[in-house]
Amino acid sequence: MPDTHSSNEQTGEARRRSLLIGAISALAAAVFVFWSGWPTPTDGAANAAGGGDVLVATSVCEAHELRAKKEDDPSLEIEIPAEYDKQWPSASACQSAIDAWDPTAEGPLQPIPFSHKHHAGEFQIECLYCHAGTDKSQAAGVPSVELCMGCHSQFPAEYDQIEGIRILKEHWEQKKPVEWVQIHRLPEHVQFRHNRHIQAGVDCQNCHGDVASYDKLPLVEDSHIGYLVPVAKLEMGWCINCHRQNNQQASQDCLKCHY
Amino acid sequence: MSELDRRDFLKVVGLSAGAAATVACDPPDKLVPYVIQPEAITPGIAVDYASTCQECPVGCGLHVKTREGRPIKVEGNPDHPINRGALCARGQSGFSRAYHPDRIEGPAMRGSDGSTQPISWEDATAKVAAKLGSSASKTWILGGPVGPTLTGLINQFTAAAGLAGHLTYENFGTQAVVEASEQVFGASAAPIFDLSEADLVVDFGADFLDNSVELGAQFTKARDINTHADGGARLIAISPRQNLTASNADHWVAAAPGSEGVLALALAKAVAQKKGVSVAAVRGADISGAVSAAGISRGVFDEMVEKLANANHAVALPPGMAASTSSGAGNAAAVLLLNVVLGSVGSQLTYPAEDAPMRASLADVIGLVEQMNKGNVECLLIHDLNPVFSLPSSIGFAEALAKVDLVVSFAQLTDETTEVSGLLMPDNAAVESWGDANPRPGVRSIVQPTLRPLHDTRQLGDSILAIGRAMGGAVASQLPEGSFKSVLEANWSGSSWRQALALGGEFGATPTRTVSVAGSAGNVRPAAPKLAGSGSMTLVPFAHSYFGDGAGASLPWMQEIPDPVTKISWNSWAEISQNKAEELGLEFGDVISVETPSGSVELSVYPRGGIRDDVIAIPIGQGHTVGHYASHAGDASHQGATAKDAMQRGVNVADLLPAATDEAGGQAYLSTTADVAKTGRFRRLALSQWTDNQRQRGLAPEVSLYELAKGGGMAHFAAAANAAEEAHGDGGDHGDGGGHHFEGPPFEFDAAYDAKPDQPYRWGMTIDNDKCTGCGACIAACYIENNVSIVGEEMAIKHREMTWLRIERYVGDGEVDFNDGAERRPWPDGEKLGENDVRHLPMLCQHCGAAPCEAVCPVIATYHNDEGLNGMVYNRCVGTRYCGNNCTYKVRRFNYFDYGNKNWPGLLGLMLNPDVTVRGQGVMEKCSFCVQRIETARQPAKDEGRVIGDGEVLTACQQTCASQAITFGNVRDDQSAAVQLAKQSEDRAYHSLQILNTRSAVTYLAQVRRDENGGH
Repeated sequence: MPDTHSSNEQTGEARRRSLLIGAISALAAAVFVFWSGWPTPTDGAANAAGGGDVLVATSVCEAHELRAKKEDDPSLEIEIPAEYDKQWPSASACQSAIDAWDPTAEGPLQPIPFSHKHHAGEFQIECLYCHAGTDKSQAAGVPSVELCMGCHSQFPAEYDQIEGIRILKEHWEQKKPVEWVQIHRLPEHVQFRHNRHIQAGVDCQNCHGDVASYDKLPLVEDSHIGYLVPVAKLEMGWCINCHRQNNQQASQDCLKCHY
Repeated sequence: MSELDRRDFLKVVGLSAGAAATVACDPPDKLVPYVIQPEAITPGIAVDYASTCQECPVGCGLHVKTREGRPIKVEGNPDHPINRGALCARGQSGFSRAYHPDRIEGPAMRGSDGSTQPISWEDATAKVAAKLGSSASKTWILGGPVGPTLTGLINQFTAAAGLAGHLTYENFGTQAVVEASEQVFGASAAPIFDLSEADLVVDFGADFLDNSVELGAQFTKARDINTHADGGARLIAISPRQNLTASNADHWVAAAPGSEGVLALALAKAVAQKKGVSVAAVRGADISGAVSAAGISRGVFDEMVEKLANANHAVALPPGMAASTSSGAGNAAAVLLLNVVLGSVGSQLTYPAEDAPMRASLADVIGLVEQMNKGNVECLLIHDLNPVFSLPSSIGFAEALAKVDLVVSFAQLTDETTEVSGLLMPDNAAVESWGDANPRPGVRSIVQPTLRPLHDTRQLGDSILAIGRAMGGAVASQLPEGSFKSVLEANWSGSSWRQALALGGEFGATPTRTVSVAGSAGNVRPAAPKLAGSGSMTLVPFAHSYFGDGAGASLPWMQEIPDPVTKISWNSWAEISQNKAEELGLEFGDVISVETPSGSVELSVYPRGGIRDDVIAIPIGQGHTVGHYASHAGDASHQGATAKDAMQRGVNVADLLPAATDEAGGQAYLSTTADVAKTGRFRRLALSQWTDNQRQRGLAPEVSLYELAKGGGMAHFAAAANAAEEAHGDGGDHGDGGGHHFEGPPFEFDAAYDAKPDQPYRWGMTIDNDKCTGCGACIAACYIENNVSIVGEEMAIKHREMTWLRIERYVGDGEVDFNDGAERRPWPDGEKLGENDVRHLPMLCQHCGAAPCEAVCPVIATYHNDEGLNGMVYNRCVGTRYCGNNCTYKVRRFNYFDYGNKNWPGLLGLMLNPDVTVRGQGVMEKCSFCVQRIETARQPAKDEGRVIGDGEVLTACQQTCASQAITFGNVRDDQSAAVQLAKQSEDRAYHSLQILNTRSAVTYLAQVRRDENGGH
């Protein structure tokens, strides 16, 4: 079942609390789903499966799902209307969208079920394609809605059956910026320069972890210090360790990062 | 605190640290990218836009530095012909108005109970249109000077709507000199001065080093010792008090206030005689009468005549508001005649071909007040002016305003006038507006927005257009189509609009006209000032360096940065002479009452040597009752107070002034006598420098041209200083470290040894004290660039100011002995009337090679880096303050009370520089040599695999300095300007407190005494 994330008006504070008190949140989730009334890809399938009769797909994603089920259990009777009998969006795209909003996975819920695994992993889109300017500026580029729409506006209408794309298009139509929850964040007394690291040939994954393998970016609780950190801990000891190993190019001067 | 023992304290600290960490690393921070990213913007990279300063009518060009679409700093536009890259302190601060807590956030209507209620723009516009529809002939517009396109539009609107009139009033305007030019040359324009070729400048109180970036730059260049072996231009300053220009002058003549005109005419006559020039208009001058009116000795007068007659390119600057007496135009005219005699007309002094724009005089405003009192004014529209505050109270403007049915204010910030206005239609801030400026004929400068309006405001031009359209019919049809921006663009025909936006305007030569002395010049007879009352002293109101007519008092930095002469911040003070103070039994901070026939005020006194005994001088601009910074409203100690009087910060000089005018109807500031009485109370002033005595330590030494010519320069100085000390009998060891002998290593320009040998860089600075005028623009640049917090008056009184850069002001070499038994500090200063030996010393972290601060830090929060910088790691600092105690130069600042968060309320945080950490409570901070700028310059250098070139890094202080006194660079590079300059001037080079062998990276070049007998 989908969880509380169907309401993207919730604050990060509320999200965290809901993670901590799972049982209550699951209850609340049902209410939210009912209240918000957002259809999700699994809703139809679940209902259909409950019927015990012929399973009828109500979206392309569901069609993929039913076909997979049929492979496992050839006795199942499924029906896929012609309008949903399409290759795109792919099964993996459908799955990624679901996993990106998986409430049981670690990490905060983003306003859009965006999957790095799908974009950077499966389709191998260069990091710098979306995070443009990161090789030129100290700040990492975060894609504008326009940049997302550069590709997504060209996709067939069936893609709109994926929740994330529907929300993206909503933002575009209303010209409303997306408020992502920040995962990798340095304290304000650190002056970090992305461009220098990229030009020195440091892989993005070195610091950001293997984001291409995650549908939902994790933010885990650190038992030692008691707060949420990304998988790659952006702490100074960790920075300086790498700088020490590369001491021919990398400076260990305090003033490089602290001023 | 006693109940809290150490263990508890540590617990609390531990807890709060944990809490802070949780907050700092919590993930709810949002990343909000653009919907459509503008092409020009790459997050993290600053974009500059050319614009024009709107703080005063001078019209300096700007580069507005923006990050992610918001202005974070403004710098002078290097291509602009007026300011050539430099910018004054106030000009740099102006952009903060956009984020100011005093912003009026949208149109509002004042109810009968005095409170305001927001209304819509449509309603506000309709209301004004309806009022104008019924009583246009009883409607006036009163405003300050604005750009030519906007002025044109307002005039067009005034005519189309059939309004009674539009008065453009300018405090400290140039009407007197325009009137004088008309009389002397028949030219109805203000003269343009060019000091770049001058060899002698006589300042009659214009105080040009304080208020003109352009003239200041020209003058310091004209006397650059490196290009003028003879010392270049000399400066004679005539002023009853030692103002900033007099502080920098070779000769200061403390003439009586208001005697400038008679003195100038007498000088003209004497110089004409000496040079054998015949100028009929000056023949009637009475020399001995002038000398006695000015209260100076005949010897001083003859000396001036001598110098003026011998100079080849002498020029005299008319006094402006300093001699705005009942004979203000006459005073200016006399100075113009002196220029005729000096032969500067056509070279140092020219007239533009165009006449000066029309300005209303104070007499016109008084006329308007009369109409208001008679009930002939139904509606008054006020823009870009705060008349309730700035006009002399005795005019009764505020009282008359109450009789006007509808007062509409277009002000951006809440002020005394908006408080009594019925309808507020707030203007955009300058950085949100379109506009233009016409600093002088031939130079058109553009104002372009760099920020989307933060509030529901509308720029004045658009408000006017909207009102006109709402009036409909003939009025609407006579007004231009479109928005004010399109009007501006249409007005820009003839040159490329896009190019103008890129460059900042269109900068052509100024067409001039040839002038000759007119027949009416013979009537120039400057008269003695008519002073109201029979008080014992003359009241000299003077323009505060940073406040202008009072509008600058809203700007936080302008309050925080001390006045360059007295070093007082955040309040008003009255300057009287030390003799007078002794006579009245007054010491620094004693509250006096100052009474004139027009009113009385009470304020603290600042006794000084550098002012005439018969004069009391009070700066204009303070005394606001409204405003977060301008009044006490933002002070913690005044929270909850409601009375207007309690809110008033300092005193408003306008409360003391009669409604006096000069011949042309302009305001006569120098118009009253005053009685001064002791009240017996004491109110401490925030004074950042407590003594001008450098106690023979050679902090800011001076070398004479003679010593330079002889060779040796500073060596002579040190020898002379030691000799003087021995003569004092104070050369022995006191057990306190060995007296004050100038021993230690001799100066060698070798700062490069203090960085790691294999590094290409050792950052250093060369500061030419001889060029520094002490204006304080660098301080403002530093505050803004480095997110330095202001602290407010209470903290400034306790010397907790956070400034990273200060300008120390010393008089002479000082005395080793001083009276440190004085109960109430500061010590009496060393200024003497008519003498001038002021030294300015910009003091910042010296980035010592052997830094005393580094050795004592227990956590190595301050350390020396490979490039010779003295690093300060804020997040490592635990606040022991050992470094500050051990710093030789007192340049380290400790943040006691989280000033950064407390003193930037509301949106002001948006103006902070994202490249510099905002320091928190309990952390030491100090000048970093703008390390963020070094790192920014390093990026392209690294990309291209080269070292950072000379001139690629300009520190903020260096960038804005009009006289180019500061040169920053890599001192390991022999060809860098910083090294070249120091080597070229080795005779003048020294390190401050060199005796202590701190191996400072800042090389000072000593001030030059150009005339042996000047000042001594």
